[in-house]
Amino acid sequence: MANVKIYSTPTCVYCKMTKEFFAKNNIQYQEFNVAEDAKAREEMVQKSRQLGVPVIDIDGAIYVGYDRNALAKALNIQ
Amino acid sequence: MYDLIIVGGGPGGVAAGVYAARKRIKVLLVTDTFGGQSLVSADVQNWIGTKSVSGFDLGKMLEEHLRAQEGIEIIDGDLVEEVGKIEGGFQVKTKSGKSFETKYVLITSGSRRRKLQVPGEKEFESKGVFYCSICDAPVMKDKVSVVVGGGNAGLEAVLDLLPYATKIYLLERGEHIKGDPVTFEKIKKDPKVEVLTQTETLEIKGKDFVTGLVYKDLQTGKSAELALDGVFVEIGAVPNSEFVKDLVERNPFGEIVVDHKTQATSCPGIWAVGDATDVLYKQNNISAGDAVKAVLNIYERISKGKGA
Repeated sequence: MANVKIYSTPTCVYCKMTKEFFAKNNIQYQEFNVAEDAKAREEMVQKSRQLGVPVIDIDGAIYVGYDRNALAKALNIQ
Repeated sequence: MYDLIIVGGGPGGVAAGVYAARKRIKVLLVTDTFGGQSLVSADVQNWIGTKSVSGFDLGKMLEEHLRAQEGIEIIDGDLVEEVGKIEGGFQVKTKSGKSFETKYVLITSGSRRRKLQVPGEKEFESKGVFYCSICDAPVMKDKVSVVVGGGNAGLEAVLDLLPYATKIYLLERGEHIKGDPVTFEKIKKDPKVEVLTQTETLEIKGKDFVTGLVYKDLQTGKSAELALDGVFVEIGAVPNSEFVKDLVERNPFGEIVVDHKTQATSCPGIWAVGDATDVLYKQNNISAGDAVKAVLNIYERISKGKGA
């Protein structure tokens, strides 16, 4: 199973959409709230070289923003 | 061949889809997401029949209502990129490479954020330049930000930033703040907020991330630089109408010109509603109502059996 992490903020709609997409497809993920967690924010910036959320890490491959098709491909969903 | 393809899944597109399905029109709706531009609103308080709903939940309500209709075909996660004239109708092509034929087209593609078009904006997009304050305001925790644009969207961005940023500049090009006075009074009282009217943004500066913004004081003609970490751009919208620019008449703003009685465009067989059009007021409720008008007009056309 893929190791999935999402860096998000509580108010971000695209983060919510990403998490719903994971839930719908039974994808387990770890979530980091970068609004509160400074260490996670730093990690996110280091990985993605940018500040926008969501950032999704799938086995080390970094995706910025909610791109359903790209995520589906990375996670082998239909 | 479809009778009708609806382009877009905001309030206009969904209203059209519901009415078209109930009229048993052979209809396909293509959209990226549901909810339109309100998707990123924290709280929508003027969607009639609903006291308060987040943009995210409004999108879900719309999607559920549409999916409850019998007979409607829906493609989401895709975008219409091309519409071309063919014998007896139109060919519609999507970003993912799908192609469909239809007798009629209803455009409800809305609008997207206007950009500043100054040096540094593109380079630092998501590296301190943001277009979704509710999404990205929290990363400005303990940082200095600027909001460019003094309309309602700009004032809301300031509100989104207040819990996080240590200092917020609000830049407005005109003499006065155009957003709702109620919101502005609230913002003005906060010592963290500094309002600079009659200013024009010239450049966004940075290295790996944004470090500053250069603006011109339109009264004195002098330039100045603000040291800051984030720029939130809220200067209005551009209609999503390029994909039909060779087919329908558009005004100098890129808005599709429609007959406001029927929502018909200058091209027979294409109707348009909502923020992509020259409608005077860009509102969710108006887009939905205008979409109903359009579908009833299209239905009349179909019942009479006339081609495009």
